[in-house]
Amino acid sequence: MDIRNEVLSRVYITFFVLCGFSLFIFARAVNISVFEGDKWSAKGDSLYLKYIPVQAERGNIIADSGELLASALPFFEIRFDPNSTGMKAIHFEREVDSLAYCLANYVDNSRNHFEWLEYLKYHRKKGTRNILIKKEASLSEKNEIQKFPLFSRGQYKGGLILDRKSKRQRPFSMLAHRTIGYVRENAQPVGLEGYFDKELAGSEGMRLVQRVGRDYIPVSDLDEIESVAGKDIKTTLNVNFQDIAQSELIKGLKKHDADFGCAVVMEVQTGAIKAIANVKNSESGFWENYNYAVGTAVEQGSTFKLASIMSLLEDKKIELEDLINIENGETAFFEERMVDASMACKDIDTTTIRRAFELSSNVGIAKLVQHYYGTNNKAGEFVERLKKMGLGEKTGITILGEAQPYLKEAYSKKDNWSGISLPWMSIGYESTMTPLQMLTFYNGVANGGKMMKPYLVDQVEEFGETVRKFKPEVLLPKMASSKTIQLVQDLLLGVVENGTAKKLKSNRVQFAGKTGTAQTNYSKIDRSSKLKYRASFAGYFPADNPKYSVIVMVENPKVFGFYGSQVAGPIFKGIAEGIFESEMDLHVALNEKGIPRRVNSKMKGKHVGNKEDFKEIFKNLNIPYRDNIAENKWVQLQPRRDSLNLYPKIFSEELVPNVVGMGLKDALHLLESRGLKVKTSGVGKVRLQSIKSGTAAKGQSIWLTLK
Amino acid sequence: MIYAVGYNDEISAGPFDLNTNAGKQALFIGLSFVTIIVCLLIDSNFWQTFGLLVFGITILLLIGVLIFGVTVKGANSWYRIAGFTIQPSEFAKFGTAVAISGFLSRYNTSMDDIRSVLIAMGMFLLPMFLILLQPDAGSALVFTGFLIVLFRAGLNPMLYIIGISAIVLLILGFIINPLFIVLGLLIIINLIFLTSVQKKLQWGLLLLGATVFAVFLAFVDNVLPALGIQALLVFVSGFTAFQNRKSQLVAQLAGFLVFGALIAFSANYFFNDVMKPHQQDRLNVWLQPSKCDPKGALYNVIQSKISIGSGGLRGKGFLQGTLTKLNYVPEQDTDFIFCTIGEEQGFIGVFGIILLYLILLLRIVSIAERQREVFSRNFAYCVASVLFVHIFINIGMTMGLMPIIGIPLPFISSGGSSILGFSLMIGVLLKLDSVRMNRARR
Repeated sequence: MDIRNEVLSRVYITFFVLCGFSLFIFARAVNISVFEGDKWSAKGDSLYLKYIPVQAERGNIIADSGELLASALPFFEIRFDPNSTGMKAIHFEREVDSLAYCLANYVDNSRNHFEWLEYLKYHRKKGTRNILIKKEASLSEKNEIQKFPLFSRGQYKGGLILDRKSKRQRPFSMLAHRTIGYVRENAQPVGLEGYFDKELAGSEGMRLVQRVGRDYIPVSDLDEIESVAGKDIKTTLNVNFQDIAQSELIKGLKKHDADFGCAVVMEVQTGAIKAIANVKNSESGFWENYNYAVGTAVEQGSTFKLASIMSLLEDKKIELEDLINIENGETAFFEERMVDASMACKDIDTTTIRRAFELSSNVGIAKLVQHYYGTNNKAGEFVERLKKMGLGEKTGITILGEAQPYLKEAYSKKDNWSGISLPWMSIGYESTMTPLQMLTFYNGVANGGKMMKPYLVDQVEEFGETVRKFKPEVLLPKMASSKTIQLVQDLLLGVVENGTAKKLKSNRVQFAGKTGTAQTNYSKIDRSSKLKYRASFAGYFPADNPKYSVIVMVENPKVFGFYGSQVAGPIFKGIAEGIFESEMDLHVALNEKGIPRRVNSKMKGKHVGNKEDFKEIFKNLNIPYRDNIAENKWVQLQPRRDSLNLYPKIFSEELVPNVVGMGLKDALHLLESRGLKVKTSGVGKVRLQSIKSGTAAKGQSIWLTLK
Repeated sequence: MIYAVGYNDEISAGPFDLNTNAGKQALFIGLSFVTIIVCLLIDSNFWQTFGLLVFGITILLLIGVLIFGVTVKGANSWYRIAGFTIQPSEFAKFGTAVAISGFLSRYNTSMDDIRSVLIAMGMFLLPMFLILLQPDAGSALVFTGFLIVLFRAGLNPMLYIIGISAIVLLILGFIINPLFIVLGLLIIINLIFLTSVQKKLQWGLLLLGATVFAVFLAFVDNVLPALGIQALLVFVSGFTAFQNRKSQLVAQLAGFLVFGALIAFSANYFFNDVMKPHQQDRLNVWLQPSKCDPKGALYNVIQSKISIGSGGLRGKGFLQGTLTKLNYVPEQDTDFIFCTIGEEQGFIGVFGIILLYLILLLRIVSIAERQREVFSRNFAYCVASVLFVHIFINIGMTMGLMPIIGIPLPFISSGGSSILGFSLMIGVLLKLDSVRMNRARR
């Protein structure tokens, strides 16, 4: 091999080696980025980055006038990453001292300034990426902490990690607790929270987080997909009514040592539920743990008699003044004894149907129903009539857990229809319904026969704007003829005026209603066991122009009576009076009767003051006045027949003015502008002044007596 | 020009450094321009004349750093002067390059002369040894690049074949049971005998059958019987060859067997009994990654591959690399800077960088070959070789082709000494090339 060839071959080998290795590397690069690219990308993302859901802020549940019943209270978990990627050493060193000072003084004083400093420096050195600063910081605390030195540089440069969370807060605690409800993990959703969960929940966002050690910290300040806050639910509940209903109910439960009870207030014209209280009397106190008003279908007892008597009237079987023999309050149907609860019935043999209803005579009502429907196998007619009046159906209220009412089909074997089913059904047994369903019936009667659907949610709001409006719905446009409704309204008023609820009659608000006393353990054969009762009262007020209907039900009262009139009635009365007094609309305004004439005006003394002020007041109060003077600041009032006249009052600049009859503000102005030193006692208008008017003013002290 | 393109990437590659780092780097980029200009001004004969002096100074600096240097990340490789750290090993590469080029260009130097070879070898083995003392295996490894220069200068290719074979055996010895290696050696020897001595068919068939049987035995974990069979065959063949007066071949093959076996056994022993676990890990990451803990030893390589692989075709964009931005890749401004390019500039960036380097290397080699002077040519080869080792090891290691050894990517990684050292080489090379017509052929 000659030299030239050898050199050439060496050069080629070198070339070959260079190119070969380059090709080798290049092939590897192709392999990694093209063929395995997806694998490595996915691995990169999954190992260190992942998306976590960001909870949306839950919407609020608010009362009819805007009070928060349940609200998402935002709070922040604040953490610090002392080795944040963008943090410059110089910033850390310069600002860590002031940061430590701030943390020690404003956030967590379990460490002092120097301990914090050591702590922060230690973790910076150690490479920690995640230090807890505050677990639950409120919005304002968070805003403050955000301003701290170093933190103010943000997440990337300042290492501040904010994690927004929220707690469900109930500003009114127990108020309507069960109705508001909750949505929790591993539990059946309850109440409005449950029913409107979709609206309230909003939609989750996503946030990209990276793994640092064992923790994940957000990659940037911003969420990748913003969460959408839930919508607000504006309920029909009135906080004030709710409070009245609840406290009256608790008072009653306490007095009678009852097991539990409920009270519902409904607006007659719309069916809006204004208050719904459910209280259980437990060893640990009174608490809402179940929505009895909505969820328990029970035998309602005597309040059901309204339906029976309406049926009889509507089917034109009876007149209210017809006579009925109530057999001194005791009779038997197919050897089954029926006794009247009311003592008044013991002395009565024959009376009008009206009286029998007012005294809540079981015998009277049952005999009538049995006579007109039972004796000729027309029980089906009775049941049909009840259904036509809207009974036996769910109300469809927008809350989870409404119980199905139960009305026996006439002569149905499946329903165990027996000979005594009809009479007992007529007085509120053998059929079940919830207090709310019963109230809906009474509300319909109060509303002139138009049965409204009870509703709890007025509208769904988003940023204060209405998104969805729930209008009052009519369940049944006409439950019965106007005449029948008129008659039963009259009957219900009679119950309060002369009947079982006579003692409840209020001198503040006239209400109408019906007592109910149901025996709850009658089926028990064991006679020795103490009888248990369910006391209830359903009605509405004011009787002449019904505005609100209310039902009260108390389960198993043990002391101080058990009748509806003794137990539930007073609670009803308390609620009715409370609401009536707090509702301005229910009162006739004093000035509705026209402006009183001022001839006999009892305005004492002669009011003196600034003319413009007077004119402003008169304008606002719509008081006619006559302004005879052109330009004068001070005037005196003179009552005339139909207006007030303004007379000029002139004060000298050098003399002490007469300020009697003036307000203190005007008097002070006048006196001090003349150089006098004013001392006062009392309140009101100026009655006396220590220096007579007309005296030369030269800086004296003057005493004013106000009254 | 190529140089300029080569390091424009600096700006896009190291943007996540703290300002101070980026600033320093910008300063050094400026300095390196100055260096190149200065190199162009210095007389072209200067480096050849004072090559040994320069070499001597760099050797002194290397010795000095062991005594006066500061220790960073466990290696005593830096001088600290006025806030800047300077790494003498980067300049030693240049010193060695001029010295070796100078030595090789002397008319009484010949690669056929054993003395010349030893001196030339010594010239790069000495700084290599000093750097290993720091210890900085990466920088030391770069000096093996000078073997390419010696090859071009005419060193016997047989030495390279033997050397590469030895290295292959060594590496195999790390991870494979040495008995298998011996078996392999025996099989090779048998095949050589078969082709050169025993040309009878029946012998061939017997040998082939026996070999297949031996391989089968070895596969079912009966290495010793397989070895016995092969050894017997080799013995018989060797004896026949000896009788056929081919004693030289027998002797050579015997030597091959003995040395091979020796290397295999000692490598195995060294790997398993002398090396510390973390050193084993380093080799395992390279040679048998499946044996490594992905969160431990394999972490760097996986991170690196992930960032290159996740770049896709066009990359995530400048400053958009999540993994590198979040510091998942270690040493991403120096040794692993290629990952940043891979992630942010994608496959296009990776391809571009490799292509640019290849063009640069081939350009230097072609410059080398057009030189009329031996010194200039050898120096150009030195530059190419040093660059080549840097590039190949650095990029190779980010992709798991090479063991992880700290070594910068020329012109891209941050590090003032590195960029100055390379600028010096390029500058001198450009100067030498520019005057190639004027200088008389010696």
